[in-house]
Amino acid sequence: MAFQTRRKYCFFKENNIIEIDYKDVKLLKRFINDNGKIMPRRVTGTSAKMHRKVVSAIKRARTIGLMPFIDNGSE
Amino acid sequence: MRYYEILYIVNPNFERKKLDETMKEIDNRLTETKSKIINHIIWGKKKLAYPMQGHKYGTYILVHYQGGNKDKLDEFDSWLKLSDLVIRHMIVRIEKEPDVLEKVDNESSIKEKEDLKSDKDKISKEKNDEETEGVK
Repeated sequence: MAFQTRRKYCFFKENNIIEIDYKDVKLLKRFINDNGKIMPRRVTGTSAKMHRKVVSAIKRARTIGLMPFIDNGSE
Repeated sequence: MRYYEILYIVNPNFERKKLDETMKEIDNRLTETKSKIINHIIWGKKKLAYPMQGHKYGTYILVHYQGGNKDKLDEFDSWLKLSDLVIRHMIVRIEKEPDVLEKVDNESSIKEKEDLKSDKDKISKEKNDEETEGVK
């Protein structure tokens, strides 16, 4: 009765992405949950190096209004 | 020399003339700092993730430049912050030299989009007309 765990992999390593642009909201949306929070590395499986870049890109996108700080569904 | 990128948001209700004036003003201020402007293009009107100064939408404008006099650039940054023309701005340093984006393409793409929109409007209007005729 062992758990079948899904293999985690780094999205960026798989797709050969080195630089992350904060303007690329479509890409960054993969790394936030429904509330707009940044998902932890243990969930997304991103490598430590790229996770740091993702975090700074998301934070930049937030300050310029491309991504939400909190998204609770109310307009 | 270092390369920088500014992304700033202006009032979405600005007309083309006012937009051009704003961009020219920022161009002038930047050239005063002995910076070399590489790109200055309209990125597009987008919905803001959260309201800023009562605005739900904003027109994003992108600038790439090669840094000049640092003290004057600091002054320029604070001027942008105080300026009424700009809702919000962010200056970011970029490692690589940015590619030159063509201004004309951007404008034409906007025009194309508008044309498509108007076409769609026409089609929807026609459909509505047909429906109303059917009702009659």
